[in-house]
Amino acid sequence: MPDWKKLVRQNLPAADQEVVAEVASHLEETYDLASSCGCSTEAALELTLRQAGLEAGKDWRVLAKQIRRSISQEGPMNHRTSSLWFPALLTLLGASVSLMATQILGVQPRLVWVRGMGVTLYWPWLATLPVFGAIGASLSRRAHASVLTRLTAGLSPALIMLTVMLIVLPWGLVLDGLHFFTLVSFGLGLANWVALPAFALFLGALPFLREPQAIGPPR
Amino acid sequence: MTKRISSKISRGSGELAILSLLAEQPLYGFEIAKQIGERTGGALQFTLASLYPLLYEMEKRGWVEGHWQTNQGGRDRRYYRLTTAGRKQLAPLRQEWQAFFHALDAIAGVSHA
Repeated sequence: MPDWKKLVRQNLPAADQEVVAEVASHLEETYDLASSCGCSTEAALELTLRQAGLEAGKDWRVLAKQIRRSISQEGPMNHRTSSLWFPALLTLLGASVSLMATQILGVQPRLVWVRGMGVTLYWPWLATLPVFGAIGASLSRRAHASVLTRLTAGLSPALIMLTVMLIVLPWGLVLDGLHFFTLVSFGLGLANWVALPAFALFLGALPFLREPQAIGPPR
Repeated sequence: MTKRISSKISRGSGELAILSLLAEQPLYGFEIAKQIGERTGGALQFTLASLYPLLYEMEKRGWVEGHWQTNQGGRDRRYYRLTTAGRKQLAPLRQEWQAFFHALDAIAGVSHA
């Protein structure tokens, strides 16, 4: 007999465990009924999927979309907005306000010297970032987003900085030329504004990358 | 064999069909789809994409309530039962559909049995 839960999980990756269990249970019963006619495994499988309206890949996508819409808590926002743009914007806003606040409050960053170059390490700001990573990923998970979307929402400030730096780099090379100093400086900037914030945000987002515990018994 | 009703028409009647069935007894998704198919002679048929989103939507509105139950064979099923709010919806929905059939009858000569 096919592993129905596995099949449903593969085709509805963002669905709750409870939904996966329920849909799998429905397919299992349909399959049992189809098998009772004495037809082959392949024929029973084909009949099951046809009766469930899941003959093509797009049928699974329709099912995923319909289920997502029906259980989504968000009203006027579409799924992409509620699962990605809104959490990402809130994470970015929180991280920006936190950076401003640490500067206004006069919390001093630490100056670290690397190969004769000073790097300003905003450690108080970095310490606040897990909170915003957690907010982004949790809001995204609440909107039934996939793990990748939750991660993107949680890491959005670092991803935006990465994009900005990748745009700035070619201009820097054009204006200053390709020098060892320029590349090291860029690398340090990348570590300071992208890698370290990304790590801090990831720590906060991590608990929300797991699927929430369902209410029902079947797992 | 009764002619199968197109999904556009059957979608609207799904709420009434499900509420009517659940008013008799709590049922799980597969059984709901099966009974609707059998009782309508196959005219109304629910696929997964039409059944479960509707059930979840009705659950969100508080019309039905789902709970897991394990049968004697050890199989877990999510049974739905009608809530008080759902029971209250049944009469107005029936009236709405009756009014709809009367209106359709007046225009297109389509009357319900």
